[in-house]
Amino acid sequence: MLHEYGHIGILLIIALLFPMGALVTSWAFRYVGVRPFASQDPVKTDIYECGVRTEGPTQVQFNFRFYYVALLFVLFDVEIIFLFPWALVFDDLGWAAYGKGLLFIATFIVGGIYAWRKRALEWR
Amino acid sequence: MSDLDIVGPQLAVLVAAAAVLLVDALIPQHRRIVPFVALAGLALSAAWTLSWVARDDYQTAFEGTLSLDKFSVFFYFLFAGITATVVLASIDWVNRAGRGQGEYYALVLTSCAGLMFLSASRDLITIYVALELSSIPQYILAGWGKDNRSSEAGLKYLLLGAVASSILLYGMALLYGLTGTTMLDGIADAIAADGESHRSLLVLASVLLIAGFGFKMAVVPFQMWVPDVYQGAPTPVAAYLSVGSKAAAFAVVLRIFFEALGEGFLSDDWSTVFAVLAAVSMTVGNVMAVVQTDIKRMLGYSSIAQAGNFMVGLAAISVSGEEFTLGASSVLVFLAAYAFTNLGAFIAVIAISQRIGSDQIKDYAGMWKRSPVLALALAFCLVSLTGIPPTAGFWAKMYIFNAGIRADLAWLVIIGVLNSVISGYYYLSVARQMFLGDAEGADRVRVSPSIGLSLGVATLGVLVFGILPTPLISAAKDAAEIFSRQ
Repeated sequence: MLHEYGHIGILLIIALLFPMGALVTSWAFRYVGVRPFASQDPVKTDIYECGVRTEGPTQVQFNFRFYYVALLFVLFDVEIIFLFPWALVFDDLGWAAYGKGLLFIATFIVGGIYAWRKRALEWR
Repeated sequence: MSDLDIVGPQLAVLVAAAAVLLVDALIPQHRRIVPFVALAGLALSAAWTLSWVARDDYQTAFEGTLSLDKFSVFFYFLFAGITATVVLASIDWVNRAGRGQGEYYALVLTSCAGLMFLSASRDLITIYVALELSSIPQYILAGWGKDNRSSEAGLKYLLLGAVASSILLYGMALLYGLTGTTMLDGIADAIAADGESHRSLLVLASVLLIAGFGFKMAVVPFQMWVPDVYQGAPTPVAAYLSVGSKAAAFAVVLRIFFEALGEGFLSDDWSTVFAVLAAVSMTVGNVMAVVQTDIKRMLGYSSIAQAGNFMVGLAAISVSGEEFTLGASSVLVFLAAYAFTNLGAFIAVIAISQRIGSDQIKDYAGMWKRSPVLALALAFCLVSLTGIPPTAGFWAKMYIFNAGIRADLAWLVIIGVLNSVISGYYYLSVARQMFLGDAEGADRVRVSPSIGLSLGVATLGVLVFGILPTPLISAAKDAAEIFSRQ
């Protein structure tokens, strides 16, 4: 059993060596003249070298109702993830699985009714 | 559908949680019935458990990951009782807080279902999921109050809880890596077959598991959150945390350590760890409790000390032969007695602090003149926590120290008895304040019917089991039978 964890150990070593290799190469390139010692170019020190220039501070306030929408989306997304495999093996499992699936959906319906009645679906 | 029948007691509680949410959302004008819907769900759960006791047909569900046996039945009743008492004691507080009435009870019920799953699970993954199902509602509940203290309590509990459960996962992953299975009986077989060669890793896994569950059990050195959370969280929630999550943690520790890691060479090692933790917990908890001026903090430290007492029973696994289960059954007796006692003490604190608006022990002076019944009930519960007859706490302590003596842990029992003397000082000094101190206000302290009822049930439990402990002890013995070795 412990033996099989050796694969993960090898992966761990590779995972450590890979970024170290990149850093060492980048450091070594300065001495072979590929990369300058200190960059004065402001574009080079930018967080994003390409794309639209950032404007203003990153910590701005935004409407908390986005949070509701995101939460509800994740909820129903997860529901679908579970329902696909259920629908796929439905033929083999029979009515018991059908009942359990309905139970699972019923849980979501309760949550949906709750969100609706608590006006989480409205953009006031 | 027999799987669903087996988890019926949990399902009843979860359905009640959904019903509570729906009642609150669909007919807000009848919000007052919400706690009674919750109580009905708990009653249904207890009735379902009773029907399994009547059928006397114990079996496992969901590929053996959940087990319905006498052990889980014992805890189903315990958790249903604890949660019902907490719901009754919360009614006043939630009405006054005025918001989230449905959500509060729904979270309490969800957490209760998690505790029930926890006591029944026999598989590491199920244990972890059940632990989170019970913990996450508790994190939210601890931060339910509107003041900063409560938010701090909730956040502190959440962060430390996350650290503890990640340590727990390390332990579980190690155990799975060494044995190749997550089922507790499979782990026991694998250790019996080939455990000696991995001894040091198995000990490391046990230590990580102890650290992870130690947070929930609130034992030193994983106790830092206890006084802050108990003080900051709403008092009914603190009562629930001090009893419910502690009982569930001990239930699952009993299952994992006695069932999966009970192999002789291993249990020698971890029972020593438990014995040392027990001694340290008792001493630190009691010494810190002496200097507290806030009664909720004092009860927090006292619950750390009591957790030390529980662990004497865990350390007593080495009792051999016919009485092998003595340690486990003594933990169960102590858990039930402690549940009644601590709930009683907390509910009395809820009732008193609601009226006088303070948690300071000095403000309890002269409570005997302002409300004789409350003062008597609180004093009685404190006497039971000390372990003086005729209370349930006395029998619990005697039974667990008896298990310690049988397991050749006389040194630990001596420390336990010395600690009981220290604990007597601070428990009884509260009683002294109430009976001998001068009352500051002359007005009477009245009690609402729901709090009166829950306090009555808890105190009556302490008294009845104090006079007639036999039914409790025999139920605990039956429940611990699952650990016996043929």
